[in-house]
Amino acid sequence: MIEAIWNNLTDPALFATVLRVMTPLLLAALGVLISDRAGVLNIGMEGMMLSGALVGVLASAWTGIPFVGLLAAIACGALLGALMAGAINGLGTHFIITGIALNLAAASATTLGLYLATGDKGMSGALQSGVLPSLHIPLVRDMPILGPMLSGHHMLTYAAILSVPVVSIMLARTPFGLHIRAVGADAKAAATAGVSRNRTQLYALMLSGVFGGAAGAYLSMGYVSWFAQNMTAGRGFIAIAAEVMGMGTAWGTFAAAAVLGIAETTAITMQALGLPNELMQMIPYIVPVIVLTVYAARRQAKARAHS
Amino acid sequence: MMRSILAGLTEFALTLVVVAAVILAVLVPVALSQPDAGEVLRLFLLGPFGTMRHVGNILELATPTMLTGLAATLIFRAGSFNLGIEGSFFVGGIAATAAALLLPLTGFIAAPTAIIVGALFGSLACMVPGYLKVRFGASEMVNSLVLNFAFLYAGVFILNYFLRDPNAGALMSYRLPADFGLDRIMQGTRLHTGVIVAFAACIIGGIWLYGTRGGLNLRIVGLGPGFAQHLGLNTSALIMRAQIAGGLIAGMAGAIEVLGLYNRFSWVALPGHGWTGITVAILARENPFLVIPAALFLAYLQVGGDMLARNLAVPSEVVGLVTAAIMLAVTATAIFRHPAFLRLIRDIKGEEQAA
Repeated sequence: MIEAIWNNLTDPALFATVLRVMTPLLLAALGVLISDRAGVLNIGMEGMMLSGALVGVLASAWTGIPFVGLLAAIACGALLGALMAGAINGLGTHFIITGIALNLAAASATTLGLYLATGDKGMSGALQSGVLPSLHIPLVRDMPILGPMLSGHHMLTYAAILSVPVVSIMLARTPFGLHIRAVGADAKAAATAGVSRNRTQLYALMLSGVFGGAAGAYLSMGYVSWFAQNMTAGRGFIAIAAEVMGMGTAWGTFAAAAVLGIAETTAITMQALGLPNELMQMIPYIVPVIVLTVYAARRQAKARAHS
Repeated sequence: MMRSILAGLTEFALTLVVVAAVILAVLVPVALSQPDAGEVLRLFLLGPFGTMRHVGNILELATPTMLTGLAATLIFRAGSFNLGIEGSFFVGGIAATAAALLLPLTGFIAAPTAIIVGALFGSLACMVPGYLKVRFGASEMVNSLVLNFAFLYAGVFILNYFLRDPNAGALMSYRLPADFGLDRIMQGTRLHTGVIVAFAACIIGGIWLYGTRGGLNLRIVGLGPGFAQHLGLNTSALIMRAQIAGGLIAGMAGAIEVLGLYNRFSWVALPGHGWTGITVAILARENPFLVIPAALFLAYLQVGGDMLARNLAVPSEVVGLVTAAIMLAVTATAIFRHPAFLRLIRDIKGEEQAA
């Protein structure tokens, strides 16, 4: 049994599986990261992903072009981000409650939208929607060993991984990133320096929505071509956990998403070996709790040592 | 005294106006999309009061959410954002099912025992994130969000491997023994004795929060942990106790829901009453007494939505949108902390001191 698990875990195809599983987590977690650094942790990520997943399928089915679906999903995420920012800074609602409300609204609205478009509340099987392509990189794909590892993954997988340095540099080295960090650290001080909290948080949440919409599109158009009710199944929440595990940096978030991707892949592998699949499904939800608790305990120990 | 009540009523009136505006803002466009707009509004707003059976449905739907609303109220009052109520509700349901199927009890002690078992196990989902917060300082919000799903899958595992009836078509438990069921108290509805528990719990919770030293301590901790510490209160213990109490109540709610409504357990997803409880607590302004009308009100909206779905081609999910919008509107500080409104409240209250 142990040997069988080991053999499965050292299988080269596993690398591809980890990438496949971690892509939506990474995209969503980067979105959460941007919002968190701006001081408005995006609890509504789950709802953004779910909405993006549906809108992507609908747009792709209506136009027949998967890329239009992706763009529509991204636009939908950005719009929801703008709405969140409007509620938080315009109406003055608490950002956590705003996120919860978005999740509730998205769960209802996607079911409603699916029903209006297809007459079915469960699945979008009746719609002819497309699948976003995988990329085969010329030259690289012919390289021995590295070729199959680097080439042939999903376009959004590449996009997600490339986003890590982009977001990292954006946060650390651009004026916009500085505004985000300033507003997140101390909105009043930022205002004194002429940085508008409202505008910065609006852009941050819209950008967060762009990532959320793309993550949603990956779920409904990445490898499958359908939308199902509540198909995100808590991935938005895992993404929040991944961002917190990543300690506020893009590379940390990447590492956390990779750890959770490996955890989920292990779970899938062990299910295939006949271990109870419900117990295996728990793994990606328990790992973040353990990691966050260990972090917190270490932080506490450090604080004690200093005092 | 009179004037502070009047001030409270003014805020309540504003809440009513805001909620009414939200309902109309969502409902009118939906109504206009239908051939008979007036009928949509009439059915949604008045339909739930049409017959006693529908009123019974409102009470039936409000039973779990009164309890989860009370649970959320206690937890929020302690100043924590523990969202484990959803998990507690689910675990309470499956634990009560296990108790009913495994414990050889009959007669009048059967159902209460299963409810207690449900409450005890259910409280775990709130207790674990609460403990990790109090002991290590780990974010209770993030932990509870993901742990809800861990508890869900653990519960489905127990259902599938230990309680599943292989002869039933879908994934569901064996039939629960009749002695564990709660008595139905209204003809033609599924309204059960659990509703009495829910009303009683909210009233007791309100008396406790506003009328006892323990309740006062909890409110102080929630308003300012630092201040509470200076007073010599054991803040960690108080916060922890609120999480456990919230978990017990939410677990009890899940147990009561299963024993009251179903003869088999068949949840394979989180049922969502925990989230509704959070909305209820927010709408009730974290006041246990107001949890009762808040839960009844949201249940009334749901029954109205169900009637639209049954009689016209308007899916009941519209209610989810209304609920989400209400959640935002009643917490909007731009409305409820608007300088003009605060001045009005101060004027009403201020004359009392002058007089």
